[in-house]
Amino acid sequence: MPVIETHDLTKRYGRRAAKSVLAVDQVSFSVEEGQVFGFLGPNGSGKTTTIGMLVGIINPTGGGFRLFGASGPKGLLAARSRVGATLETPNFYPYMSGRDNLRVAAAIKGVGRARIEECLELVGLADRAKHRFRTYSLGMKQRLALAATMLNDPELVILDEPANGLDPQGMREIREIIRILADRGKTIFLSSHLLWEVERTCSHVAIVRKGRIVASGTVTEVVSAGKSALLRAGDEDALAAALEGCPEVMSVRRFEEGGVVVGLHSDDLAAVNRYLAGRGIHVSHLAPHRPSLEEVFIDLTRGDFDPMTEIAS
Amino acid sequence: MSGASGGGTSGQARAGGLRSGTVGLLLRIEVLKAVKRRAFWVAVGLFAALNAIATVDNVRYARLYPENTYALPASWPDILTGLTGPGPFFIAVLMILLLAPEFSWRTGRQNVIDGLSKERLYAGKVIVLVGLIALFTATVVAIGVVGTLFSPSEGGPEFIRSTDLSYVGGCILNLLLFCSAGLMLSTMIRSAGPALGVLFLYILVEQAIAELVSRMGETMRGASEYFPFSITQDLGNSLVHYPEQLAAVNSSRAERGLPPLEFLAVEVLAIAALAYSAIFLVIAFLSMRKRDL
Repeated sequence: MPVIETHDLTKRYGRRAAKSVLAVDQVSFSVEEGQVFGFLGPNGSGKTTTIGMLVGIINPTGGGFRLFGASGPKGLLAARSRVGATLETPNFYPYMSGRDNLRVAAAIKGVGRARIEECLELVGLADRAKHRFRTYSLGMKQRLALAATMLNDPELVILDEPANGLDPQGMREIREIIRILADRGKTIFLSSHLLWEVERTCSHVAIVRKGRIVASGTVTEVVSAGKSALLRAGDEDALAAALEGCPEVMSVRRFEEGGVVVGLHSDDLAAVNRYLAGRGIHVSHLAPHRPSLEEVFIDLTRGDFDPMTEIAS
Repeated sequence: MSGASGGGTSGQARAGGLRSGTVGLLLRIEVLKAVKRRAFWVAVGLFAALNAIATVDNVRYARLYPENTYALPASWPDILTGLTGPGPFFIAVLMILLLAPEFSWRTGRQNVIDGLSKERLYAGKVIVLVGLIALFTATVVAIGVVGTLFSPSEGGPEFIRSTDLSYVGGCILNLLLFCSAGLMLSTMIRSAGPALGVLFLYILVEQAIAELVSRMGETMRGASEYFPFSITQDLGNSLVHYPEQLAAVNSSRAERGLPPLEFLAVEVLAIAALAYSAIFLVIAFLSMRKRDL
């Protein structure tokens, strides 16, 4: 039984057709028990809106979903007691201490004080638990959000950009916590911009673009789905310019380690070679290329964002 | 599958029907949120201090001028004045200060993510409303009653009369109406500053409209008496609840050639206040339930 199952899930903001915004457009996917599922997309692609519908803060305008096989208000309310989630920035009462904030969350989740202390220890905040939330650094806020998420020992953990704004040390700590959760058999639904991190951490991914899922499956399936090749030549500027006109080529981009990577319509590398030779360009390297998840992501969401800004964020 | 209409939130009131355990849980959560908030203690402290000052003044006046009785039950109108005047404003402001930040801080949204249904989140706010009314009423009554212990005046045989109870009820309805307006504005506007601005602006606008309408003839003047702020002013006016006071005032006015003061019946005022409060609370509920957090 899938832990999460969506069917044509849709969210449209605004009633007038001309002014309305389709944030999530008939999204269907499923997350099985024990999976670490990466949910990827540029800013404004509908990731947080999709998660918001799953956790009950946003009302869908079409389609539906199940959590742990449950649907309908009563079933979903019960199912959500098995979920721990945090969305975007950590949301806590700024005037209350970290411990008191967890007391509010613990009361809602029906867990005792001992568990609060366990979670504070787990995220390394026990020493700062009595300090007000507003005095916390962003990393501490993210860790407190993780502590709140884990209070009820959830079977499904939903994390929306948990490493946002963190320094490398903070990111490493969050990654460690995610690994601990995955090792404990939790199902994790992770939305993140850190694609190399997702590639290392997640077993499955879905890439969302303009509210629609454009690729999904295991990480291996998604990165293997696109046909691409790496080419090198003496004059790589001329090579890239020539490839732009090749009928076999869908996309052209420079490869960080030298050379040009092309997305192809087919596996016919010989046709590409013939095309280039016909234009006086002789390649020193032409081989199938297995792209990284980041390359696939940028290919699939090309034009939606400035990759450097997005990845940096 | 959860459909578009449900989305996992609508109808959760049924799903999570408010049981006594739930009320206790929501009360515990809301008390924890409130008592840790400095604004809460500042507002309650200021309100209590203003009432204490008024009570000390009453006691001092009774000591200086023995004909001015400050003892129960005769002093109830003086004591309950604390719940009229600035009292309703205090409670509405505090309601907005406690509720609106739940949206700007997105903590209400996190409460729902943590497992509280939107309906229970709303129920928690209604508990805050009831709690604030009880707290403000108890503060005024306690300070006033303690004050009478220091007064030299002789009290009557009763602790409280039926007319005093009517005034207490009127004051509580007054607080309820203001508090409900605060709850509605908080859930609709979702930001404390603008919500407070709208509240004060509305009061000014209503008074201006009532003034304008009253010049348009007797019928229109009668209609303006049913405006929400007009209703609260009348409910908090001791003359409405103490016929002997009203008779004395009207007799004095008659001697000066002025027309007698007339008010809507207490029952009508009470029904109108309850109706307005119910409308405000329903709008707040629908706003919280239908809108995304």
